[in-house]
Amino acid sequence: MGFYLIQTLNAVAFSVLLMLCGLGLSLVLSLMNFVNLTHGASYLFGSYVAVVWLGSGAPWWLAVPAAFLAAALAGLLLDRFPFARFYGRNHLAQVLLTYGLSVMFADLMRLGFGAEIRSPALPDLLRGVVFVLGMPFPIYRLVLILAGGVLALVLWYLFDRTIWGAVVRASVADRRMVETLGLDTSRVFAVVMAIAAGLGGLSGALGVGMLSAYPGLDEEILLHALFVVVLGGLGTFRGTVAGAFILGFAMTFARVWLPEFAGFLTLLAIALLLVLRPDGLVAPRLRQV
Amino acid sequence: MRAHAWLLCLPLAGLLALFGGDYHLRFAAEILITGTAVMSLDILVGQGRLVSLGHAALFGGAAYVSALLAIHAGAGLMPVLLAGIATGMLLALVMGLVATRSVDLFFLILTLVVGQMVYELAFHWRTVTGGADGLRGIPALALHLGGASWPMSGARSLFLLAAGLALLAYLLARSFLAAPIGRALVASREQPVRLAALGYEVRRLRLLAMVFAGGIAGAAGALYPFVNLYVGPNLVHWSMSATMIVMLVLGGVGTLHGAFVGTGLYLLVQTYLSSFTDRWQLLIGLLFVLIVIFLPDGIVRPGWRRRQA
Amino acid sequence: MRPNLLTRRGVLLGTAGVALAAHCGAPAVARSEPLRIGLLTSLSGPFTSLGESMRAGLELLIADAGGQMGGRPVELLVEDDGGKPEEGLRKVRKLIAQDGIDVLGGVISAGVALAIRDVVTEAGLPTFISNASANALAREAASPLVFRPTKTSWMLGHTGALWTFQNIAKDGGLTVGADYAAGREYIGDFVQTFQEQGGSVGTQLWTPLGTTDFSPILTTIAAEQPSFVYAFFAGADAVRFLQQMQEYQLQDLVKLIGPGALFDQEDVVPAAGSAALGGINTFQQSPTAPAAHGFVEAYRAARGRLPGEASTAGYVTGQVIRAGLEAVAGDPSDRERFRQALLEQPIETVIGPMRFDPRNNQAVLDIYVNELVAGPDGQPLNTVVHTYAGVQDPGPAG
Repeated sequence: MGFYLIQTLNAVAFSVLLMLCGLGLSLVLSLMNFVNLTHGASYLFGSYVAVVWLGSGAPWWLAVPAAFLAAALAGLLLDRFPFARFYGRNHLAQVLLTYGLSVMFADLMRLGFGAEIRSPALPDLLRGVVFVLGMPFPIYRLVLILAGGVLALVLWYLFDRTIWGAVVRASVADRRMVETLGLDTSRVFAVVMAIAAGLGGLSGALGVGMLSAYPGLDEEILLHALFVVVLGGLGTFRGTVAGAFILGFAMTFARVWLPEFAGFLTLLAIALLLVLRPDGLVAPRLRQV
Repeated sequence: MRAHAWLLCLPLAGLLALFGGDYHLRFAAEILITGTAVMSLDILVGQGRLVSLGHAALFGGAAYVSALLAIHAGAGLMPVLLAGIATGMLLALVMGLVATRSVDLFFLILTLVVGQMVYELAFHWRTVTGGADGLRGIPALALHLGGASWPMSGARSLFLLAAGLALLAYLLARSFLAAPIGRALVASREQPVRLAALGYEVRRLRLLAMVFAGGIAGAAGALYPFVNLYVGPNLVHWSMSATMIVMLVLGGVGTLHGAFVGTGLYLLVQTYLSSFTDRWQLLIGLLFVLIVIFLPDGIVRPGWRRRQA
Repeated sequence: MRPNLLTRRGVLLGTAGVALAAHCGAPAVARSEPLRIGLLTSLSGPFTSLGESMRAGLELLIADAGGQMGGRPVELLVEDDGGKPEEGLRKVRKLIAQDGIDVLGGVISAGVALAIRDVVTEAGLPTFISNASANALAREAASPLVFRPTKTSWMLGHTGALWTFQNIAKDGGLTVGADYAAGREYIGDFVQTFQEQGGSVGTQLWTPLGTTDFSPILTTIAAEQPSFVYAFFAGADAVRFLQQMQEYQLQDLVKLIGPGALFDQEDVVPAAGSAALGGINTFQQSPTAPAAHGFVEAYRAARGRLPGEASTAGYVTGQVIRAGLEAVAGDPSDRERFRQALLEQPIETVIGPMRFDPRNNQAVLDIYVNELVAGPDGQPLNTVVHTYAGVQDPGPAG
């Protein structure tokens, strides 16, 4: 009983981590129809920033905001050049551009942070466990679940319920119309890109306590994030959350019951789901002109 | 322009065949074989805008089958080639059935997922595939005709074989694209709705293109194990597919012959630049990004496009 | 035909050594061409940090040797295999055909080692596999000119089982490993020896290579409360496994033992931190082994950290090549003589005495049992608690 309760909590914690990875990617994809494969690099950058921050003795609770700001700044620069001129292009051009950039960023980070595995010095506050029915569950993961939940709510409110979110969505739906209203849409896109990249960095800072940071992690995260976003259905926020939980539970319980086939089974599950629902779990309403 | 390129290529290949050493001939054979697989990817990417991240699984899957046939059945050139082509087409069919309903990002992810399933199989089915260590001890290639048999193990015969394969595959691909089905594939990229209104089944069209490309990739894969007498799981991993796309873009998407140029460029940079600097990936990434931004048609035909559009 | 030395990445210590010797008025050694040592290692891909350490280790040895071996100046040519056999093969062919190397060392990944085996054998190139541990290279894939101055998987799994059986528990343990060739070898050899000793092993758990989240496995361990866990992971997987063990507070409850890669002093311990404390491993190398003392200090001076397996392997490979070359006066062109020289004489290395098994050219080594205890700086330090002397792989017959 306790065993399955803890395994469920394990699955929830991993799902939240996947959701965090997917959110930034989903944001630019849904709002700007832009495929950003540098998202894995944003994540790893955030992880490194957090490791350096925590190693420097600065207040530990500022590590996450610091990672968010650093990655957001990088996103802002990328938006100026070269992303902006690719927003209107097809997915192929975007995939190629951002994949090439991610290869460069991976090597630059190796140059800057070294090829060694880095892991953060976590504060003692986050290191304990709670016992649930006699089984241990780490406090760090509880904090992760909490932070992920709060973040998802904040984003949902920001983009779905505020006037500012309405402007973003309107800019995507009909850019020219919004501009005739006197709003600068390129600035709107820049802000969204910065937030999305910042989210990548933020999830990197939150996840580094679990996954550490090392060259190559960027690709692993990118794959997970892509699976989450595509499973959920492009362009929906709820879809990303659903995709993360399905993938997180599938991966966790595949490892509990059939660990030797976990990799294959996870892929099979993704393929089956996408064959059954070719547009993802939560498909946006189709608007074809 | 194109005629000039050919006039340049043939004597170059001839010179290499006559005077090249073992190492250079093998290297050239590897470029030609990989280039053939990359060219088959160009049929999908260039004409159909179907960006597949699972193409290495077709190429590498055929390589595994070919290597296994050579090891366990002592198969010669012809059976190995046929088996490779069949494997490539079969895997492409499965991949296509799963993925051709979608385009863009969904197609990319579905081909990636199917390709990674092939990788998981190659990585975990240790008794057959050798798992992470791969397959070694592959016997040298031979051509059996009737009762006679010619060894084709030397670097020179491998090179000539690879060159023959590349040429044949190139001509086949060109005639495929010039045929009505190839034109329809281009139309499916530009105007899928109108094409469907004309009575074409867009999905079947894409499926046919994938199976055709899979056959070529499979033929190339069938020869690949004999260059190194080794096959390993890296060959079917998605990162190999991504590398193939990089090679294609470096040479020029939609030109077919650009695939060979891009493959050669990539492998030369990887082999020689890495002797001088640890930062070769940064340089190749930079080159790639610059090409995507400033030379979207790749390096084989700078500037002039838009003629056929 | 002579490539321009200045444009090569190859270390120029050779030429420096010559200049120094000439300056001191020593007998002229410049009579001969520089001896070319190729190092095939990973400078991109998953083993990058190991590859950089291995290169640093070999460079340190060449510097210690004054840039020459057997009276000849040495030129080091480093090539990157990216951890991929296909790339490694191409690089080896290049080193042989274009650079004309005299000996080859290196190789981190077992896949690369097995893939290049036939090429170097055909070329008759004396080859020293510094790091890859695949049992096959000491058995069916052994080759007369391929030497391995490091362990086989069996040597670590076997000694791990002996130690566990004698000192930890005879039953009630479980194993967990990364599900690929190396993991299967280490765990399989551990279980076999453990059962031969009369012990019994419980559940065997496997997780995919590159597992990010070990929590499903850890909760299983917490539920089973085993008497010990024998685990094999390497690199980032090892760091994550140790840290998540600590996160779930299993570190103090369960005795953890594994092959040395799980607690590699350079690659894993600095990142894992206190999560490594209390672990046991069997390894051919240890920073606290008496033989390693001078090397450890020199390496720390050069790179500001303790050496792990890869850097030590680079250094040891250099020592072995050097010993072989000294015995043939710097001329390895007579392959059989070079081989005999290496087989005949035990070599004193920084991992202890080493001799090669004439059946398969596999090193017969002392295997250390290391316990991770807090060192002088508070960081976990692999500390030798026992030595199994002269461990020999069963070899082709076994």
